[in-house]
Amino acid sequence: MESIPSPSPTPPPVQPIWALILDSLGGQFLRLAAILWDSLSTKIAKVGEVVLLFFRILKRAPWFFVNPSLTLEQFIRIGVSSLPLVMVISFFIGAVSAVQAAYQFRGFVPSNYLGTAVCKLVVIESGPVLTALVLAGRVGSAIAAQIGTMKEKEELDAMTVLDLDPLRYLALPRLISGLLAFPLLVIISDCLSIIGGWIITTLVLKVTTATYVFGLRFLFQPYDVVISMVKAMVFGGIVVLMGYYHGLSAGPGAKGVGQASMKSVVSSCMLILIVDFLIVYIAY
Amino acid sequence: MNGEHLIELKHLQKSFGPQKVLRDVNLEIRRGETMVIIGTSGGGKSVILKHCIGLLQPDGGEVVVDGKVISSNKYIDVTTIRKRMGMLFQGAALFDSMNVGENIKFAVREHEKQHSEADLDRIVAETLHMINLNPDFRFKMPSELSGGMKKRLGLARAIALKPEILLYDEPTTGLDPITSDVINDLIIDMQAKLGATNIVVTHDMVSAYKIADRIAMLLDGRIIFVGTPEETRATSNPYVQQFILGQRKLGAEAE
Repeated sequence: MESIPSPSPTPPPVQPIWALILDSLGGQFLRLAAILWDSLSTKIAKVGEVVLLFFRILKRAPWFFVNPSLTLEQFIRIGVSSLPLVMVISFFIGAVSAVQAAYQFRGFVPSNYLGTAVCKLVVIESGPVLTALVLAGRVGSAIAAQIGTMKEKEELDAMTVLDLDPLRYLALPRLISGLLAFPLLVIISDCLSIIGGWIITTLVLKVTTATYVFGLRFLFQPYDVVISMVKAMVFGGIVVLMGYYHGLSAGPGAKGVGQASMKSVVSSCMLILIVDFLIVYIAY
Repeated sequence: MNGEHLIELKHLQKSFGPQKVLRDVNLEIRRGETMVIIGTSGGGKSVILKHCIGLLQPDGGEVVVDGKVISSNKYIDVTTIRKRMGMLFQGAALFDSMNVGENIKFAVREHEKQHSEADLDRIVAETLHMINLNPDFRFKMPSELSGGMKKRLGLARAIALKPEILLYDEPTTGLDPITSDVINDLIIDMQAKLGATNIVVTHDMVSAYKIADRIAMLLDGRIIFVGTPEETRATSNPYVQQFILGQRKLGAEAE
């Protein structure tokens, strides 16, 4: 049987070209806005989760006095074990600062101020920030990998089942150690950087120790050290929290743990620099 | 509540994203019995166990343990009940950073402060003895142990606090038949020594028949059958028969 031909459809109204372009652009813009909004709202939710995690750990602070040995163990792992790395990088930061300062000053600024430049740079910025960035790689990634692996192997569930609160036994000792160890590491880093600067200044740049020390003391303000310690403490908290948070959110398998480790370092580094700006903006 | 029932799962529902794992699970576990839950891999058996011990909260329905609803998010209730429970995880979940002795001692030291280190060592030795292991094992690290040994030590850690309820998540999976039988004997032995109520999740029918007082089958998010091992063997339920006989297709189709 022959099929009845369907009536030909009415041709759509012809739109001017500018209307088509605007339509297309509008659609693209709305899609882009939706993607940006999704991404932003996810990030805001994650910040909320981290803040909540911080307060949940803080609520367990009194338990520190019940198990101080757990915190001591973490303090050794986070603080003492990081010492060689911090010492090496700090020494060279001081040395590089001195060489750069001498190069930039030549012909304009007397070498009396070499020590001032090294001291100011190290105490205000490079000490806390570079130490925290390096420790984000060493400490934060290790925490994320360990917690991620414990989650993957159901060790965190096993602790919960045995009524051993993971926040109390794992998170709290790490957070307190981070808050205490980072300022101490920054003090050591500052000293080593100043020594590095001194060795290069006297041996390579042929400036006397007295001149270098004069520069160090000139414009030195204890307030800078206080702000540096505040920064170090905040950065310590950021590195530990990011490590723990990303460990808890790790996906399954080796890939998940690897990504958690990477995310903890990236987010710690970003937060360290953003928070550094905020602290400097408020404090100075 | 029926006094005979220690654990009751009422209309339990749980989804992970779009996947509905538990649709409507209803199950009562009697005091002192060994209830074995069988079902296909990935069917939600472990999810049921995690609800029983408060590791997961249901989307709907409730979990009642000894008359207390532990699925109502009341932290105190859950932790109180949890102290009366022990769990053997599928991968044993031993704490990798501690040796065997510390794995067993950790929870005992934290919850029973009255014990001296000498007492704790004695408890470790007794616990290892209960699972037929030499006390010298306490110095070994988990990484030095075989799969079967890890399971036994996971059980040792679970029983160190003398729980009233023991949950076993796939206790014989990945083990050879002889080691599986050792674990089965240990489960029976633990029930005799501790008088505990056991819930065992497995797809190993040899193990299920040996240790179970009753067997429940989970299919498509629902408990479709509950019965003694004899009733399970004799049932005409085609899905149970398909599972226990290990057939790829349902009875008639298989022929």
